[in-house]
Amino acid sequence: MSTQPYRLGVDIGGTFTDVVLLSDDGIVRTAKVLSTPDDYARGVVDGAIAMLDVCGVAGNEIAGVVHASTVASNTVLEGLGARTALVTTKGFRDVLEMRRLRIPVLYDIQYQSPRPLVPRRLRYEVTERLGPRGEMWTELDEATVREVAEQIRHDDVEAVAIALLHSYADDAHERRVEEIVREAVGEEVYVTRSSEILPEIREYERTSTAVVNAYVGPAITRYLGSLVDRLRDAGIDAPLEVMQSSGGTLTPATARRKPAHLVESGPAAGVMACSYLGRLTGRRQLISLDMGGTTAKAAIVEDGRPARTSEYEVGAGINLSSKLVKGGGHPIKLPFIDVSEIGAGGGSIVAIDELGNVTVGPASAGSSPGPVCYGLGGESPTLTDALLALGYLNATQLGSGAITLDPARSRETLDRIVATPLRRSVEEAAYGILMLAVATMTRAVKAVTTYRGRDPRDFTLCAFGGNGPLTGVEIARSLAMRHMLVPPSPGVFSALGLLFSDTEHEVVRTLMLRDDEITAAALEAAFAEIEAETTIYLSGSAGARVRVRRFADVRYTGQAYELSVAVPPGPVDIGHLVADFVAEHVRTYGHGSADDPVDVVSIRALAAIERTSAQLYDPLAAIRTQPVYEDTRLAYFGPDVGLVETEVCSRAGLQAGERRGPLLIDEADSTCVVPPGCLARLDHYGNIEVELVV
Amino acid sequence: MSETSIDPITLEVVKNALASIADEMALVIMRSAYSPVVRDTMDYSTALCDRNGRVVAQGLTLAVQLGTFPTVMGYVLDELGPTAQPGDVYIANDPYGCGGQHLPDIYLIKPVFVAGVLEGWAATMAHHSDIGGIAPGSIAVHATEIYQEGLRIPLSKLVDAGVESTMLLRLIEANTRQPVHVLGDLRAQLAACRVGERGLTALIERYGSDAHAYMDELQRVAERMMRAELTKLPDGVHTFTDYIDGVGDEPVPIPICVRVEITGDEVLIDLEGTSPQVEASVNCPVGMVYAAAYCAIRGIVRGEIPNCEGYMVPIRINAPVGTVVNPVLPAACGARGVIGYRVYDAIMGALAPIVPDRVIAAGEGGPTLIAWGGYHDDREPFGTTEVLVGSWGARSSLDGLEGVSNPLANLGNQPVELIEADLPLRVERYGVVPDSGGAGRQRGGLAYVREYELLARKATLTFRTDRRDHPPYGLDGGEPGAPSSNVVVSNGEARELPTMPMKAFVLGRGDRFIHASAGGGGFGNPHERDPAAVLEDVLDGKVTDAAARERYGVVLSDGLVDIEATHALRAAG
Repeated sequence: MSTQPYRLGVDIGGTFTDVVLLSDDGIVRTAKVLSTPDDYARGVVDGAIAMLDVCGVAGNEIAGVVHASTVASNTVLEGLGARTALVTTKGFRDVLEMRRLRIPVLYDIQYQSPRPLVPRRLRYEVTERLGPRGEMWTELDEATVREVAEQIRHDDVEAVAIALLHSYADDAHERRVEEIVREAVGEEVYVTRSSEILPEIREYERTSTAVVNAYVGPAITRYLGSLVDRLRDAGIDAPLEVMQSSGGTLTPATARRKPAHLVESGPAAGVMACSYLGRLTGRRQLISLDMGGTTAKAAIVEDGRPARTSEYEVGAGINLSSKLVKGGGHPIKLPFIDVSEIGAGGGSIVAIDELGNVTVGPASAGSSPGPVCYGLGGESPTLTDALLALGYLNATQLGSGAITLDPARSRETLDRIVATPLRRSVEEAAYGILMLAVATMTRAVKAVTTYRGRDPRDFTLCAFGGNGPLTGVEIARSLAMRHMLVPPSPGVFSALGLLFSDTEHEVVRTLMLRDDEITAAALEAAFAEIEAETTIYLSGSAGARVRVRRFADVRYTGQAYELSVAVPPGPVDIGHLVADFVAEHVRTYGHGSADDPVDVVSIRALAAIERTSAQLYDPLAAIRTQPVYEDTRLAYFGPDVGLVETEVCSRAGLQAGERRGPLLIDEADSTCVVPPGCLARLDHYGNIEVELVV
Repeated sequence: MSETSIDPITLEVVKNALASIADEMALVIMRSAYSPVVRDTMDYSTALCDRNGRVVAQGLTLAVQLGTFPTVMGYVLDELGPTAQPGDVYIANDPYGCGGQHLPDIYLIKPVFVAGVLEGWAATMAHHSDIGGIAPGSIAVHATEIYQEGLRIPLSKLVDAGVESTMLLRLIEANTRQPVHVLGDLRAQLAACRVGERGLTALIERYGSDAHAYMDELQRVAERMMRAELTKLPDGVHTFTDYIDGVGDEPVPIPICVRVEITGDEVLIDLEGTSPQVEASVNCPVGMVYAAAYCAIRGIVRGEIPNCEGYMVPIRINAPVGTVVNPVLPAACGARGVIGYRVYDAIMGALAPIVPDRVIAAGEGGPTLIAWGGYHDDREPFGTTEVLVGSWGARSSLDGLEGVSNPLANLGNQPVELIEADLPLRVERYGVVPDSGGAGRQRGGLAYVREYELLARKATLTFRTDRRDHPPYGLDGGEPGAPSSNVVVSNGEARELPTMPMKAFVLGRGDRFIHASAGGGGFGNPHERDPAAVLEDVLDGKVTDAAARERYGVVLSDGLVDIEATHALRAAG
């Protein structure tokens, strides 16, 4: 056994901070502590210390700490980011405000658009102009830059973003502007260049990404500084890494330079846990479904790897992973795991209008006042109340007995507000509410599957989060899927993903090569440059095995959107590259021509230090020690089956062999619902496998 | 299945499923289309129809196009419905005889069969970058009859039982200046039709014949909700006249007269008195007029009404034949949109007195269309259509928006960097115009300005703009927005061009074209605007110091509101 046999993962959520500790004999221990919104670092460190105390582990036995943080996204959502200035090309001060014009709703003439993160008064123009290939149209007028820099110094800003037209093609002007601004404002001000954070064509997306980076930069810098200090004070000196939206982790130094990469840190962790599970169990095609109290998040894992996207908006409320509904937030065009998030969770409020139309969410009762059954003052029925009324939830066991649920209160409210107006029984109404929530969540799953040309029937649904196992089978059923997997400790499964992620960084470069300019030599030279650049961002991990994967973003000449195609290591084979693109085009859009000219718009290098293979994980160890628990409850499974006396067991209750639904599998942090006819069994890794019977 | 056994929850599920299929169709077009006007501007729409051809779901696309699908589907059902077979796809763009709008807008519509039975329709339309005619882009105002506007495609089979009509595709290819764009975009529409077919098939397979009962119920729910909303409005007659500036160098205003009559749970939009059709391409085929009326009424009612045809039933429209709102052959209609947008504005104006808290003051007047076309030195054609938009009128409690598409048209803008990478054009400026929003308690959205420089030896420029002589109206004492302008600078000499010129302009290398839209109208008395809001606008350079004083009665000094001087000035004014 090594002297540092433990790795620690900490995942901050809105209400709880989840802590997982993995020892090198494969045992995982988990804990939940309350989050501390006034200073999240305190909650993280308190949780870590509590975990170490309980397990009798010393700080110096920790080999590494990986952390998922909501600080970047909360900073934007709550509008608490830095006072930020923007420097841009003469004539284009309003790029940030003109946006891309589209809005995410039809027919709403009372719409209000989000305010730009940099107000117009702090957006400055400098005289300069490059062309689309970096050609010099107008020299940089340094006198105008000095004037602007001086004004910015007087503006008392904490951050500056620099975004000039066509800087993806040549960053010389942006670099010079940065030098001059830096001279004026000093080292204390946070400065971001668009050509550093996103050297890609399309000025609005690049500007917005640079602005978000600058806007959250000071907060992230402070937060990470505080976290590192507190961990050290607590005797935990192990290297810290931070989860980024792409599912890889970053060193704190890179995270401070490029904090816009951290925005979907939390959701990414869950998908990484799922993709690890896929590799472990040999299930190559998984749909990750993480359903908590307020939202449901869906993503796909193909061949053990999550699908990615670079179309993301922070602050848009919901993210349907669809360009169609864009316009409600601030775009960040960086690698994200393609997570579709929708406002449906246990706390989603059930409402009925005067014409009898029923809706579930997106308004949420949250954890305070919470669902009616919590008895904490909640008066609106929620999905959790419906699940309790259906008999799915155990009234006394949730959260290890932390909260005792009040079924009578749920029933009374559901009856009064939903069942009676619809002339239905409470169970019928509750079941209908479940079906509505399922329909909403199904949209999130479709956004990452059918919208992308993927057939959900080729996938296994991996359901976790407190509410995933309760609703998963019905979501699978509505998409004609046959298999669902529920990992052990589904409520904290997401945090486990932190321990199975690689340190990684992606570097992208826009080339805009037209058909006849695409040569193996040109691509190989460009790949060599960006591969070298990736290692800068992996510093601090010297000596580790770095693996670089290469991608090319290709489109037919004339299209505006590219498809990303993997480029195998070694010499570049253009014929292969084009054939792979055509195949992907056919798969995504149903057509594609091998003869039409193509463009290579950008190339990407994704460098990773892989650690996943080194880690053992043996969840069965914990299950073997669990007491077997058996019980029965009345539960309702739709109008065809009705209310039936249903067997209830713990996960350990599946050790003896496969069981047939109706069955409810109670756990400390969730219940897995196995409807009539479905089969449930444990796999070799302690996961519950549910097979849907058609 | 009877109406009484409808389960409200399944209904909601079916509604969401249909909407997500229509959205999926729209995504496929955006991602695989070729022309900037489709892929970036997103000037296209998608819908699903039930087996009776009624629109039952709309993609998150253009409200004003979505409202035209019922018109075109009427022709499709009459002519081809009885003979439809699996694997067919129909094509049409002709305003005369099949419900088309203007020739660049091509509809592709696919009947969906499940187990050999017609179960519904997947419908798409897209604005193509060129369909021939007298000027690149096929939107020239100066066309005086439709025969000058390009290729008319009557309702035809583009795909017949799975077999593509090579003949028809070649005919289209031969009649456009942009064959790569047009054929690529048609492929994208075909792909979207297949996605619609796949989605609808899955839905029918899942719900069987109940699916139709639920689709029918969606129509009834939409109609019921619309009727319930209309009932809440007081009965009465309200009129409003708005204008488009008119065409050519000496424009004669073209009136759009609206009479809104609310009776019980129905509303009549009567356009009697509107100008006869004109010899220019601003005549608006009636489908878009219907669409504008549906959008206006839809915009002022409340509730989550399903996006299906049912809500249109209680809205009746009278558009007299032979006028600019219901033209007949041989009227040209390439630039017809401006009439449609004005119909919407006029209806809003008529409704303002009865629902002041729900209407919107006039915005920029609808999209400006700008078409560039020419040939590189090697005779390769270049060309693009830009659709510029983005200034809302004020609302009773909200300022007008800038940087947001027109409420009728959820369009995007084309990235400057992509334009410059693809075309011999340089964009010199794109942003808002200070002081252009109509003053009011709520300020109108600022106008936008876009300035281009031509880098090629020469190019043809056509455009359709409006709202110079008749700027966007304000409401309840709010001022109108600033008028639009079009300027060409050639050899250092600037000249103002008409809003709807009766000719194409030929520009040379180094010439610049500058279009500023109109600003949105204001809402309420400008002297009632919160001085702090005026100060914010001044700090942001959206309103000048002088305008703060002259139009809002707000006196600023040292970056603060001078409260006493402001009181005095407002009391005096």
